[in-house]
Amino acid sequence: MGPKKNPYLPEIVTVVRIIEETPTIKSLQVVFDDPERMKNFKFEPGQVGQLSVFGVGEATFVINSPPTRKEYLQFSVMKVGEVTSAIHELHEGDKLGLRAPLGNWFPYESMKGRNILFIGGGIGLAPLRTLILFMLDNRKDYGRITILYGARTPIDLCYKEDLKDWGSRDDVDLVLTVDNEYPGWDKKVGLVPNVLLEMAPKPDNTVAITCGPPIMIKYTLIALSKLGFKDEDIITTLERRMKCGIGLCGRCNIGSKYVCKDGPVFSLAQLKSLPQEEY
Amino acid sequence: MERIGFLKKEKIEEYLQSLSKKGELYVPVDVGRAVKFEKYLTGSSICLDRPPTLPPKSVIYPQSERLFKFKFKKDEGNVDLIEIEEVEDTKKRIIFGARPCDSAGFSVIDNVFIQTDTPDVYYERRRMNSFIAAKACDKPSAGCFCIAVGGGPFDDSGSDALITELEEGYLIEAKTEKGSLFLDWELIEPGDDHLEKKLKKKEESERLLSEYLGELKKIEPLDPKTESFNDENFWKRHLSKCISCGLCTYLCPTCYCFNITDEKKIFEGERIRSWDSCMFFHFTLEASGHNPRPDKFKRFRNRVGHKFMFYPEKYSQLIACCGCGRCIRFCPVSVDIREVVFELQKPRRV
Amino acid sequence: MVELKEKISEVFRDTNLVICWREGFDPIHATPHFVREESQIEDSIFNLFCVHNLCVYLPFLKEKAGILVKGCDSRTLIQFLQEGLIRREDVVIIGISCRGIIDVGKLMREVLYEAVTGVSIDGDSIKVKTVSREREFQLTSLLADKCKICRYPNPLIYDHLIGEPVESKVSWDMAYEDIREFEKKPLEDRLSFWTKEIGKCIRCYACRNACPLCICRDRCIAETRDPHFTSQSVELKEKFMFHFIHAVHLAGRCVECGECERACPVGIPVKMMKKKINLEMKELFDYETGINVDDKPPMYTFKAEEEKIKEHEL
Repeated sequence: MGPKKNPYLPEIVTVVRIIEETPTIKSLQVVFDDPERMKNFKFEPGQVGQLSVFGVGEATFVINSPPTRKEYLQFSVMKVGEVTSAIHELHEGDKLGLRAPLGNWFPYESMKGRNILFIGGGIGLAPLRTLILFMLDNRKDYGRITILYGARTPIDLCYKEDLKDWGSRDDVDLVLTVDNEYPGWDKKVGLVPNVLLEMAPKPDNTVAITCGPPIMIKYTLIALSKLGFKDEDIITTLERRMKCGIGLCGRCNIGSKYVCKDGPVFSLAQLKSLPQEEY
Repeated sequence: MERIGFLKKEKIEEYLQSLSKKGELYVPVDVGRAVKFEKYLTGSSICLDRPPTLPPKSVIYPQSERLFKFKFKKDEGNVDLIEIEEVEDTKKRIIFGARPCDSAGFSVIDNVFIQTDTPDVYYERRRMNSFIAAKACDKPSAGCFCIAVGGGPFDDSGSDALITELEEGYLIEAKTEKGSLFLDWELIEPGDDHLEKKLKKKEESERLLSEYLGELKKIEPLDPKTESFNDENFWKRHLSKCISCGLCTYLCPTCYCFNITDEKKIFEGERIRSWDSCMFFHFTLEASGHNPRPDKFKRFRNRVGHKFMFYPEKYSQLIACCGCGRCIRFCPVSVDIREVVFELQKPRRV
Repeated sequence: MVELKEKISEVFRDTNLVICWREGFDPIHATPHFVREESQIEDSIFNLFCVHNLCVYLPFLKEKAGILVKGCDSRTLIQFLQEGLIRREDVVIIGISCRGIIDVGKLMREVLYEAVTGVSIDGDSIKVKTVSREREFQLTSLLADKCKICRYPNPLIYDHLIGEPVESKVSWDMAYEDIREFEKKPLEDRLSFWTKEIGKCIRCYACRNACPLCICRDRCIAETRDPHFTSQSVELKEKFMFHFIHAVHLAGRCVECGECERACPVGIPVKMMKKKINLEMKELFDYETGINVDDKPPMYTFKAEEEKIKEHEL
């Protein structure tokens, strides 16, 4: 048996492009310094990576570019803490550490032939973006695709290029909403769960996938159940404070499941079988 | 090959000296109002007459350790480089005088850190290169309950050798291949003649413990459907007194949760892994300010759940508690985890 | 004990919560007892093992509570009131005149941590039965150190009082003799003493969390990265840093209840640092913590020219 791989050692990546999504969110496109690794890197939509700013620390982000587009790996980072602030200071050409891929992924195989309803809030669109782009790259495999996306204000909407594209496509229904009236905003106004109830999508043959701030997820899950979605057809991706990313350090568990390893993707049915905790 | 030896009491010093030449030897030492495992030095007086305050966990799983060093450099073209230097600790370590519960504690951690597709190489390396001799317990200490969670005062799980202190000396039984290390035939003599005395001691010790425990003799893993588990009032009733310090977790032979943090100087730095405690607010605090376990009740519930419900669920009904009793014995407010688990199971018993 | 339970009952009717003691996991351990139902009053006790300073819970309680305090503990309440950490109307104080409590850690060490199955007290002696034998001790030999130099056996603030007043003959100088003696030692000796003692620290923060005046708790700099004062490594300097910060944050605030030291699993005499600072407080500001509700802790006030700090006379 050869030497075991050290799961804590990051690989070095270089930032090739930085996109300012909102005043507090930046997307970083990175490539492995080792071109072979870049070529052979495999991951599934929904999996995450641990980005290291050496000397500051690591934090977990979903890889929000799909495996079908592999010139780079994209991560979106909201400036909230120590590591994310340091990431926001980075420039193109800067080096980072990356441990990826980690965690589970969206069960896209079992979603084939079904209608997909995406419900995102704020930076919570990141994991959904991976799957949306993946599905658009395999468009024929899936039924109707509906995207409900909200943010506090129009300025806080991420991936504006993608939104423009999705809004103009015939094979995607895009509904955008902001929390309050805003000058020049002509789309929906209201909190995501409320807009969802108003839209009243039919649960028939549909899988709902949601991600957003904890409070939005909480009420969206309630709304989906109210609309008749089965627990197995409601999928969410959770965020927790993570350190090791490999199910050892013990902090991101909900009951016996580790969000970093057994998640971050869970169905509501799975969540309901775990001890009650705030997500 | 002979597997049982006997060491005369007067030869213990010489024996330890000789052991210390085979690897880095750790023995329980009285450091003043506490007994902890320290590197053996000639003249160290080994303290076997009371349970060590701290388990030998830190010998194999140090409270803090460097995972790797990093250096910021530039290449000829002035392009930034980051160089990572991994730490590899392949030192041989010998622990003499652990307690059976302490060894059992390592077995609990082994399941998590080694029996996984992403083993913790730092722990694994040290664990594979360590030799553990546990000293069987003659009588229960305050808060002991090993037999209630499947262990015992003479249990050898996780140990390479088991030591029984008899009047004239120590009976040393090798329990694994590695255990032969403790059978130094230059200093010890065949021990079979003493086995009977040992068995008597074992019986007596088990009897004392079981009498001491009374109704707390057996703790089963918690059923995931345990009703009180999700009842906030249950936790309020039993844990209002908890002061939310990390003593119970840091003294625990089975607690393994950790933190990873970076420390930096100008051109270099290190990533360290250090023990963390699920009893701390910061443990689950997210950068956004959201905290899924914001109060001590949720945190204690997770601690009990982890040991008695979640871990057994994952590892064929094994309880992640070795019953050493340290969390009870030393808790500043005498929180009794046995009592909490017992109360949780009460409705089922009735 | 009848009197105790009667008083608790009386207060409970008013507050719906009384924080007192009940018997712990063995006969030499008491444990804090939160009485929230009438039926729980029956379990309440007061004896030589009621070592805890129950005031530690008060600043975080969001409800009115009755509380039992010994003389030493009562100073905590005064300090809380000085600092505005509790409101007087939110606590109903049952004071207990106290003849001293037992150093349970010491007792456990004396019996080599053997499981204790029974204890009986007869006059000045205490019989302790363990699983293997019975031993008899003089009570005075097991008394907590703080009790041997106690100057406040009677509560300084209370609504109800239990027990006959106890007289103390301990003077200020007697109480701080240990510190003065220690300070006479050469610097190298003191350094090696602290190096050994602090070296034992496992950063479990029991000392911090058992301290009623350590109110930063979840925001303690020992764990935060912002500010990043300490790293998580277990090097000696990090441990010193934490203990120094702990001690200095208690300057003019520590009431010497000794909970920090009692809570420490590895027996670091952390109270000494705090006593040293209290000695300085007395000498510099003629101030003693937790005595008068109307006092202002010196570190909460500012005088352009302190009487005993002549910084302008350089």
